[in-house]
Amino acid sequence: MIEIVFLVPLATGALAFFLPRPSGRTLLTLTGAVHLLLSILLWVRQPEALFAEYFAVTPEGLLSLLVISLLFFLISIYTTGYLKTANIRSERVFTGSMLVFLSTMTMVTLSDHIMVMWIAIEATTLASAPLIYTHRSAATLEATLKYVLICSVGIALALLGSVLIALSMDVGGVNVPVAFSALAVVANRLDPLWLKAGFVFILVGYGTKMGLAPMHTWLPDAHSEAPSPASALLSGVLLNCAYLGIFKTNKIMHAAGLGHFSGTILIVFGLASILVAATFILKQTEYKRLLAYSSIENMGIIAFGTGVGGLAAYGAVLCLIHHSLIKSSLFLSSGNILLGYGSRLIDSTGALVRRMPRTFVAFFSGFAGISGFPPFGLFLGEVFILIGAFRGGHYVGAGVFIVSLCVIFAGFTNHVIKMSFSDAAAGDRVEEKPAMVWPQYALLLTSLVLCFWIPESLYETIVHAVNSIGGRL
Amino acid sequence: MIQPVDTILALVLLSVLISFGSSRLPALIKVVAFQGVVVSIVPFFIGHGLTVGGVVFTLATLLIRGIAIPVFIYLAIKKTAIHREVEPIVGYHASLMAGLVLMVAATFVSPKFNLPQSAGNALLLPTAITLLAAGMFLLMARRNAIAMVLGYIVMENGIYLVGTGFSVRTHHIVEFGILLDVLAGVMIMAVILQNINQAFDDVDTALLRSLKE
Repeated sequence: MIEIVFLVPLATGALAFFLPRPSGRTLLTLTGAVHLLLSILLWVRQPEALFAEYFAVTPEGLLSLLVISLLFFLISIYTTGYLKTANIRSERVFTGSMLVFLSTMTMVTLSDHIMVMWIAIEATTLASAPLIYTHRSAATLEATLKYVLICSVGIALALLGSVLIALSMDVGGVNVPVAFSALAVVANRLDPLWLKAGFVFILVGYGTKMGLAPMHTWLPDAHSEAPSPASALLSGVLLNCAYLGIFKTNKIMHAAGLGHFSGTILIVFGLASILVAATFILKQTEYKRLLAYSSIENMGIIAFGTGVGGLAAYGAVLCLIHHSLIKSSLFLSSGNILLGYGSRLIDSTGALVRRMPRTFVAFFSGFAGISGFPPFGLFLGEVFILIGAFRGGHYVGAGVFIVSLCVIFAGFTNHVIKMSFSDAAAGDRVEEKPAMVWPQYALLLTSLVLCFWIPESLYETIVHAVNSIGGRL
Repeated sequence: MIQPVDTILALVLLSVLISFGSSRLPALIKVVAFQGVVVSIVPFFIGHGLTVGGVVFTLATLLIRGIAIPVFIYLAIKKTAIHREVEPIVGYHASLMAGLVLMVAATFVSPKFNLPQSAGNALLLPTAITLLAAGMFLLMARRNAIAMVLGYIVMENGIYLVGTGFSVRTHHIVEFGILLDVLAGVMIMAVILQNINQAFDDVDTALLRSLKE
C-alpha cells in the first residue's frame, strides 16, 4: 500500500484550497511531518504496491523520496514563517499547490511504469506553475509561460521516447509490462535501434526539465521569479525527479549492453551544462539567478558522473543528495535576503554579515558547501566523480570539468563576498525569525553529518542503486 | 487499394498545410480543432479489435482534443486578440513550402524504419512524423504565444498518432492520464495567456523579453 504516501498530500492539498490562512499553514507543516513519517516507514518496511503494475519501491526511488520528504518538512517550517512576513495575496492557492506538488513528486519517485512516470513528471510541471506565478507580476507571468511551455514541449519529447521504448518491445517481440523494472530484466531482447532512439528522446525530454544545457533557458527565470520556498523545492527536489527518469532509462540501457552509448551522450550534455553555467555565473547581477545557474552546473556534474559510470556514478548520487540539501538551504536564505533588502540585485545588497548575521552564517556555509568545500558532502561526490573520470580515461572531460569548476568558484566567490562584506547597503540589523533560519541550519547540518557518516542502510541503498549502471566500488 | 484510414490521414496532412498558411488566430484554432477531431478517430479505422473501453476512451479523446482544448484557447483570446495575426518569423509561402518539404521528407524516411505494423497503413508513420515536425515548426516560426501553444498541441497530436498506431500495450487508464495531463497543461497555458492579454494587451512574445539573457 505504498500509494498512500502520495495520496495523503494530494488530499490535504485539495483541502488547503478551501481552508482559511492560519489552518492552511498548520496543514502544510502537519502534512510535511506525516509525509516524512510515512517515507521513513516505507524505507524500513518496503511494502508491496497495491497497483504493482504501475508503482514499485526501488532503491533510487526511495533515496529521492527520503530527500524530498526531509526537504519538504523543513521547507514547510520555513514557509510558515515566510508567509507571515511576505505578503502573498492568494495564499490558499500557494499552500494547496505546494502540497499537490509534493504529491506529484512523490508519485514520480514511486512510479515504475514508463508512462505513469511521464504522467507524474508532467503533473509536477503543472502543479508547480501556480507557485511560480504567485507574485502576479508581468515578469512572473512571462517566467511561468516560459516554464510551462518549454517544459511541456520537452516532456512531450520524453513521451515520444517512452512510446519508442514500447515500440522496441514490439519489434523485439518481448511481452512484459512496460515498466522500468521488468524492462531491465529483458533488456537484451529489446530492439537496440529503437531503444537508443527512445533513450535520446527521453534524455532530451527529461533533460529539459532537469535543466541540462542547451534546454535550460526556462530554469533561471522560473527559479528566480518563484517565491523562495518554492524556488527551494524547484531547485532542490524537482530537478532530482527529472533526473530519476533519466537514471532509470539509463539503467535499461546498461542492462541492454548499450551503456557506452548512453554514457557518452550524458557526458556531452553534462559538460555542456557545466560550461554554460560557468559562462553565465561570472556576469550575474541577481543572486537568485546566480543560485539557479549553480543548479544547472550541479545537474551537469550529476549527468557527467552518471555518464562516466563506476565510482563516478556513486559520486553522482552523492552529489544529487547533497546538492538538494545545500541548494535548498541557499534558496531559503536568499528568501531572507530578499525580504530584508527588498531587491534581487547583488548590487543592492551588502554588509550581510552585520545586518543579518544568522542568515549570513547559513548563506556563507551554503556557498562553501555548493562550491565543493570539504566539511560538506558535495566535496566527496565531486572527488569521486573526478577519480572515476580519470580511471575511465575521460581526461578531456575531467579537464573541462576542473577548469569550469574553478571559473564557477571564482565568479561565485566574487558575488558572495560582495553581498556579505561590502558596505554598499550598510544599515541597521534586520530582524530574523528563528523559523526562517533553523531549517537552513538543519539542512546544512544534515549534509555535514552525511559527509562523515552514512548510515549502513543508506549506503546499501546508494550502492544498490548505482550497481546496475556499472557502479562497482 | 485506398483504405478509409488513409483518407483520414490525408485530411490530417491537409490540416497541417492549412495551419501553416493561416494568418489569423481564430482560423488557426479551427484548423487545430479539426485536426484534433480527425486524429482522435483514427483508432476506429485501424482495427486493433476495439473493446468497449477502447470506444469510450476514443470518444473521450475526441471530446478533449477536438472540442475542449480549442474552446479553452479560444476563450482565452476572445477578449482582446480576436483578429490578431500570428506574426510569422517565416512567411506564409515559405511556411507552406516547408510543410510540403516536411511531408516529402517524412514519406521518404518512413519505409526505412522497417516497422512491423506499418505495412497496412502506408500513411500512418509519415503523418505522425509530419505532425511532430510541424508542431516544432509552428513553435519556432511564429512569434505569437498562442500560435506557439497551438504548435505544442499539433506536436501532441503527432505523438498520439505514434502511440495509437504502433503500440497497443498501454492500458486505457494510463492513456487517459496522459490525456488529462495534456488538457490540464493547455488549460494552465490558456489561463496564463489570458492574464498576459490583460497585462500587456498583446500576446506577442517579442514584447516579452525582459527576462532574456
